[in-house]
Amino acid sequence: MKLSCLQENLKNALSIVSRAVATRSTLPITQNVLIATDGSRLKLAATNLEIAISCWIGAKVEKEGAITVPARLLTDYTSLLPNEKIDINLTKNTLHLKCARSETSINGLDAADFPPIPEVTDGINTKIEREALRDGINQVSFAAATEESRPVLTGVQLEFDGDKLILAAADGFRLAVHYTSVLTPVSAKTAIIVPAKALVELSRFLSDQDESVEIIVNQQKSQALFRLKNVEMVSQLIQGVFPNYSQLIPQKYATRAVVDLTQFLQAIKMASIFARDGSGIVRMEMTPGPEMTAGKMNISARAEEIGENIGEVDALIDGEPAKIAFNAKYVSDVLGVIKQKQVALETTTSSSPGVIRPIGVSNYVHVVMPMFVQW
Amino acid sequence: MSIRLLTPDVVSKIAAGEVVERPASIVKELMENSLDAGATQVTIESQGGGINLIRVADNGSGIPASDLELAFRRHATSKISNSADLEKISTLGFRGEALPSIAAVADIEVITQSTGGITGSYLQLRNSTVVKRERRSRPRGTTITVHQLFRHFPARLKFLKSLTTENSHVANLVSQYALSYPEVKFKLYIDGRQAINTPGNGKLRDVVAEVYGLETAQQMLAVDGAREIPSITGLVSPASLCRSSRGYLSFFVNRRWVRNSTLFRAAEDAYQRLIMTGKHPIVVLDVSLPPQEIDINVHPTKTDVKFRSSQIVYATVAKSIRNRLVSAPLPRVEPIAPQAPPPAMLWTRQGDEAPQPPTFRPEPINMPILRVVGQLASSYILAEDPTGLFLIDQHAAHERILFEKILAQRSQQNVEIQGLLEPINIDLSPKQDEVLKTRGELLNGFGFNIEPFGGRTYLLRAVPAMMKSGDLAEAVRTLLDSIAIDEEPLRREEKIAQSLACHSAVKAGDSLTGEEMRELIRQLEQAAQPKTCPHGRPTMIHLSAQQLEKEFGRIR
Ligand SMILES: Nc1ncnc2c1ncn2[C@@H]1O[C@H](COP(=O)(O)OP(=O)(O)OP(=O)(O)O)[C@@H](O)[C@H]1O
Ligand SMILES: [Mg+2]
Repeated sequence: MKLSCLQENLKNALSIVSRAVATRSTLPITQNVLIATDGSRLKLAATNLEIAISCWIGAKVEKEGAITVPARLLTDYTSLLPNEKIDINLTKNTLHLKCARSETSINGLDAADFPPIPEVTDGINTKIEREALRDGINQVSFAAATEESRPVLTGVQLEFDGDKLILAAADGFRLAVHYTSVLTPVSAKTAIIVPAKALVELSRFLSDQDESVEIIVNQQKSQALFRLKNVEMVSQLIQGVFPNYSQLIPQKYATRAVVDLTQFLQAIKMASIFARDGSGIVRMEMTPGPEMTAGKMNISARAEEIGENIGEVDALIDGEPAKIAFNAKYVSDVLGVIKQKQVALETTTSSSPGVIRPIGVSNYVHVVMPMFVQW
Repeated sequence: MSIRLLTPDVVSKIAAGEVVERPASIVKELMENSLDAGATQVTIESQGGGINLIRVADNGSGIPASDLELAFRRHATSKISNSADLEKISTLGFRGEALPSIAAVADIEVITQSTGGITGSYLQLRNSTVVKRERRSRPRGTTITVHQLFRHFPARLKFLKSLTTENSHVANLVSQYALSYPEVKFKLYIDGRQAINTPGNGKLRDVVAEVYGLETAQQMLAVDGAREIPSITGLVSPASLCRSSRGYLSFFVNRRWVRNSTLFRAAEDAYQRLIMTGKHPIVVLDVSLPPQEIDINVHPTKTDVKFRSSQIVYATVAKSIRNRLVSAPLPRVEPIAPQAPPPAMLWTRQGDEAPQPPTFRPEPINMPILRVVGQLASSYILAEDPTGLFLIDQHAAHERILFEKILAQRSQQNVEIQGLLEPINIDLSPKQDEVLKTRGELLNGFGFNIEPFGGRTYLLRAVPAMMKSGDLAEAVRTLLDSIAIDEEPLRREEKIAQSLACHSAVKAGDSLTGEEMRELIRQLEQAAQPKTCPHGRPTMIHLSAQQLEKEFGRIR
């Protein structure tokens, strides 16, 4: 293998693929990055066996070849080089890099031993706008479970139907559902569960160069490929049945409070300082205003010994006065991903799920289970 | 074979001792008799913890009218006749002890109809003497009713535990024999309520479904070592399915339920490094080998056996399970925390001098104000104060903090409860079911919201807010197991708090941020007993500045 490429391109590519490098692993080669010529481009790839990321950069290829080298070492080294041309040369299993006045050789492992990156071709195939995908991931992935006692809940369900796409995630206490659309309709209705971690990685390296993302799911629905302009990510899919979440979204409410998102978030954050000692309980009391005037929402938290915090925000209240308590983190998590100026909080009783929706768009629903407290 | 008295030389070779310790012992003996009689249906009733009444009815071969009174004489049995038979026991009973031992401590009624008998017979005994005998008819089989256990033995009665505990022992025994005899239909009624009902269709998996729940049954892996010697057959849990107590390990030797340390060890060793330390598998295994290879005559209650070649038994059981586990799809093993190195001599263990048992309102113990230095092996927090270095076990420390918080919230009636978006199904064993029925209120008080959902299935609707993550159904089962035994109510509350704290605390192996470590230390400083975890183990060890200087040879 003999080629040259630009330091900046190599550095960027390494920073993308290194997200898939295994950190602790029983298979040492997965701590390496694969470097291979691919036509007139250079391909870099890494996998931790759950996801695999490949990235292509322009290069002047003189002789074809492939090798794997320790990812961390190559990334650290490359990032210190000046932004100039790098000459790369492989002799046996040693990779030589030459850039400006630096020269190094790194011992590698045979590329043939690198776990093959699965080809995902058959099955369903569609395209989605970059921003639509990014918003969707952003608004649901945080609601996925982080521990493994129910594996399906560590994923985000992607439900494709015609040109519609619904993303949903839940962790047993909350549920986030985002409705969006794809650019090319799918041939058959399909639902897959992608590990939330994989989607978060994906949204991280979606760049301005990528107008859209191609999504391909294999026939067995065991793997999905996300194809960007110069980057591909293959993720294993989680097998299992995702909860039937539509029945978990309350269809009615007894009280609906529309509030300014910034004020609401601010009040929650203040309360949560006081809620820190316990399980982060914040209490909300919604009081309608008299005759056509705005009502208010009280947000309070108390901590033994430290004291109490009560915040008040203006609210347009529809329905009965109501009281409900939530884990502060659950509320601030969802408020943090809504871009609209106002949100609605809908409740029925203080022990049934609360619903938070952005005002002005209808593509997002968030359901949170309250905490049961004495009032 | 008809019932005969054993000769004194045979009797002298039989392990003697107390047969009836508690109501469940009676259930065991009567069930074993039914199974020896070839019954395909056994119905057990227990009332008032088995003290008021135990009734076992079967459709086995019955007792011939001519033998009936003899059956209640000591050392009268139809199952062996000479010393040589003792070497090759193939029935569950062999001593001729059970019925007379029961008759000695309770009132008994028997109705039995034997194969080929013309009419059935009825016998009533009080204080071991026959008070009534008549002809009564009944379909083939035997019904034995035991009334007023230990009525004349108030001391023994006092020794018994609560009705809940006695019921749970009964339920457990019936569960075990149901698992051992899938072809027999077992029904258990506790105070009129059906607690167990197995199909008796010969399928072990169906019995497991009845006892441990369908979900568990579906995941169990079949072990089929029928060609091994000894032959090993049954069901074992995949590594991904484990429990927090040893109570789910059932072993049968030639279908007799035994509690044998060789078998326990073999099974647990087979799972070693596949499941987390502190977790235990679910195992239902029958070990079958020629009767000459075992000695059952080691314990008066026949609940243990001696293997002639215990090494071979150990190896075969461990290997059969291990092979099955390895051939199963790879489990997702949760990371196991690295084993802590044994503390070197220069460390003084802070908890050592007084490993205080957890007390409800402990004397406050001061803790130094610490500065966090870093984290070691994702398990210990390194911290210092002017006197030297502290190593803090993050799990133990967090357990302590949560334990006190739980008890404080509980005593202030201020428990923090988090609702579940979707209720979680919990399948309980008959034993756990009994505990929940009688002590459910207690769990309620700690923030669990559990609703019956038919049979032994329940819906979990809310949990104490701090426990949120992890396998919540399993956490509830663990809790029920931990409060099954009797003790003072206060101690029981502590056990619940311990169990909740253990479930919710950070685990060894979790890496913590600097902020999280400082917060943990801050909260530990406020704990009443910061230096020991709720189980009494130390939360921290201290290396003094002097010790350090000495080790480095700066001072002598
Ligand atoms: N349910 C039953 N059906 C048929 N026969 C029975 C039944 N219960 C007892 N018997 C007869 O009564 C005899 C005495 O029973 P008992 O349980 O006292 O002794 P055993 O079973 O022979 O030995 P062990 O003391 O070890 O149980 C038995 O040997 C058996 O012949
Ligand atoms: Mg017997």
